[in-house]
Amino acid sequence: MMYDVIIIGGGPAGMSAATVLGDRVKTLIIDENDRLGGQLVKQTHKFFGDHEHYASTRGFEIADKLLKEIQKKPVEISPSSTVIGIYPQNTVAYVKDGQIQKVQYKKLLLATGAMERQLPFVNSDLPGVYGAGAIQTLMNQYGIFPGKRFLIVGSGNIGLILAYQLAQTGVEVKMILEALDKVGGYEVHANKVRRLGIPILTGHTIVKAIGDEKVEGAVIANVDKNFNTVKGTEREVVVDTICVAVGLTPLIELAEQSGAKVSYIPELGGYVPLRDERMRTTNHDVFVAGDLSSIEEATTAMMEGKIAAMQIFEDLTGESLEDKILYDLNSLVIFRSGPKSSKIRTGLEKMGINFPKIDIPKSQKFEKYDDSKLHAVIECNEEIPCNSCEYACKFDAIKVGSNINSVPSFDPSKCTGCAVCVTACPGLAIFMKKVDGKTATLGIPYEFLPLPKMDDVMWGIDREGNYVCDVKVKRVVKNPNKTNIVYVELPSEFVDMVRHVKYQSKESPYVCRCEEVTLDEIEKVIDSGITDFEELKRLTRVTMGPCNGKNCKMVVLGILSKKTGIPISSLSHGTSRPPTKPVEFKVFLKEGEK
Amino acid sequence: MEGRILEHPILNFQRKARVKIFFEGREIEAYEGESVAAALHAAGIRVLRYTPIDGRPAGFFCAIGKCSACLMEIDGIPNVRSCMTKVRDGMQVRRQNKNGDLL
Repeated sequence: MMYDVIIIGGGPAGMSAATVLGDRVKTLIIDENDRLGGQLVKQTHKFFGDHEHYASTRGFEIADKLLKEIQKKPVEISPSSTVIGIYPQNTVAYVKDGQIQKVQYKKLLLATGAMERQLPFVNSDLPGVYGAGAIQTLMNQYGIFPGKRFLIVGSGNIGLILAYQLAQTGVEVKMILEALDKVGGYEVHANKVRRLGIPILTGHTIVKAIGDEKVEGAVIANVDKNFNTVKGTEREVVVDTICVAVGLTPLIELAEQSGAKVSYIPELGGYVPLRDERMRTTNHDVFVAGDLSSIEEATTAMMEGKIAAMQIFEDLTGESLEDKILYDLNSLVIFRSGPKSSKIRTGLEKMGINFPKIDIPKSQKFEKYDDSKLHAVIECNEEIPCNSCEYACKFDAIKVGSNINSVPSFDPSKCTGCAVCVTACPGLAIFMKKVDGKTATLGIPYEFLPLPKMDDVMWGIDREGNYVCDVKVKRVVKNPNKTNIVYVELPSEFVDMVRHVKYQSKESPYVCRCEEVTLDEIEKVIDSGITDFEELKRLTRVTMGPCNGKNCKMVVLGILSKKTGIPISSLSHGTSRPPTKPVEFKVFLKEGEK
Repeated sequence: MEGRILEHPILNFQRKARVKIFFEGREIEAYEGESVAAALHAAGIRVLRYTPIDGRPAGFFCAIGKCSACLMEIDGIPNVRSCMTKVRDGMQVRRQNKNGDLL
C-alpha cells in the first residue's frame, strides 16, 4: 500500500502532524501502543505554554483532544504496531498481530520519541530501579502503586514532576538527588515538591542500590565538582524503589535507516538527525519532530509536528502554507528565547539553525498592595515559556505580553479576587491573600486527597515543608480541572510563610499489643476526663489481654501520670488476678469433667 | 506497597473485566488492558527473569517497550516483552531463565 505520508510515532509530535495532514493527503500513523498519545497519556500535570498549544491542560487531556481531532479526519491509524525497519523503495515494515506488514510512503515523518537514559551504579540492574517513565506508566496509566518509598535521581522537570505525582498517590518520596549544584527543572516545579517536605539534595549522587532480589535501599554520597563521589560521605537510605530521571536519549534507529544523517549533539540529547528549521532531514523526503529531533517538551514537539506537516503538505501539493509556517516558526523561536532553552539553542545552532538575540521584556513591579481585600499573590520569578495566568485573568490584572517567557506583571488594583488564575497556573505558584487585623485568609491550590473539610484544623506548612502554625479551613472551592482551592484562616504574621496545608500525621504507637490499643486512643480517653486506671482499663481494654498487663501496665501508668500530674505511686495499679499466664482451660477441670 | 490505586486526586481509574493469568502456575489478579509486567508488579512480583550470563535477577526498566529488560516466557514463547504484552484470560507467564528455551 502506498501512502502520501506515513507518520511513525503517535505522541504529541506525530498526532499534531496528523491533525494538519489528515484531511488533505493520504496519511497513515503507526504506533506501538494500543492507543495514540505517546507519553502524554501518563502526564497528570497541567502543561506550561500558551493557550494555542493547550497550556494549563493536563497531559492526558491533551492526548484525548488531539485524538478526537484526528478521529474526525480520514487518517488511517495502525495501533499496536511495532515498526522493525525502513527498507529500500521507501518501505516501512511493521509487525501487527504477529504478522509482518509492508507499506510505502512518498514522505516520511518520524516522531519516534526518546527513551530513558541509563545511569550505571552498582546494582542498577536490580528489580526496583526504574526509569521515571516506567513509574508514570504503572501509576498513571495502569493505576498501580509503583512502590512505597522512593529515591529519585535527577532534579530535571521529569524528576520533579514525578516526585509530585508520587506524593499525590500517597506514597513517600524520601528525597531527590541532583549531581549538579543547582536544581535542573523549573523553579515552580521544585517549589511544589519542596513544600511537600521532599528534600532536593544538590551535589549528591547514588552510589549503589542495596538488595538481593529487589531494591531494599540505596547508598548515596556527595559529589565533587568533577562528579566523583567524595569518600567518607556515603550513607544509606531505606527505599524500595529507585527512580532514574537523568534525561532521555532520542530513538534514532529508524531515522538512520531512512537515510537521514545523524550527528552527536549532547545539548539535544545525544545522536540526533540533522534537519533544517522546517524539520526536513538530509533525506529530502524524511522529516522528524519531537524528542527524536531534540529532547525538549511536549509543547515544542506539537509545534514541530505542525511545522513538519505543513512543509510536507507544500511538498506534496504545491499549495503554499507559507504564512502559517512562518507564524509557527516565529512562535517557536520566541518560545525558545528564555534562559531555560539556552541548551536547545546552542544545540540547534551547531546544526546551522540560528536564533536571533531576543530580549525578554522585564515585568512591571507594582508596589501598592491593598491587603484588606482578597487578591492574588504570584510567586513565579523565573523566565519560563508560559502565559496561562494572563489568559485566565479576565480583568487585565496579569500581563505576560509579547514574549511568553516574560515573568508575569501583576497589578493588584485590578484584581477582583476571583482566583481563576490560581486554578489555571501549571506551576501552582499563585495564592490568594487577605489580611484582616490579626487574622488573615490564605487561598492555596490543592491537588491531594482527602479534600480538606470546612472548620477542620490543619497544619500550615512553609515553602520548605516545615510546620508553621495551625490553620483553620474556611472554604473549599472544587474546580472541574481538579486544582481545588483551600481557603484557610491563620494568624496574620504567618500569611506570607504558609504555602501548603496538611492533616496532622495520624501515626500513633501501639501501647497495648495484646488488645491493640494505641497511645492516641489512650490519650483521648484521658482527655475526656477519665483519670482512674481501672476505668481506663474497662474503656480501652489496656492491660486486659493474655499478657496480663505485663507488657504495657507501666507504660499506661506513665501516660496517665504525665497527663494528670498524679505521681504513679498515688495511682491505683489494678489487681493482679490469676491465672498469671495463658494456660489451657482443661487444667481447671476436675478429673472426668467436660 | 503493591496493589492498585483506588482513589486519585486527578485520575479516575475504571478497570475493565477481571481476567485470570497464571504466574509460575499461581493465579494473579489482572484486568483487561493491563500489561503483563504491570499486573505482576501489582501482585508484588518484580523479578521477571534471570539474566543469561551471570544469572542476576532482572525486572523492567522503561516499561514502554524500549529497553528489553522485561523479557519473559509467555504462553510457552520466550523473549516476549512483558511490558508491551497485554494480559489475556488463561495466560501462562513464567520467569525467563537465561535465554529461554524453545520447547
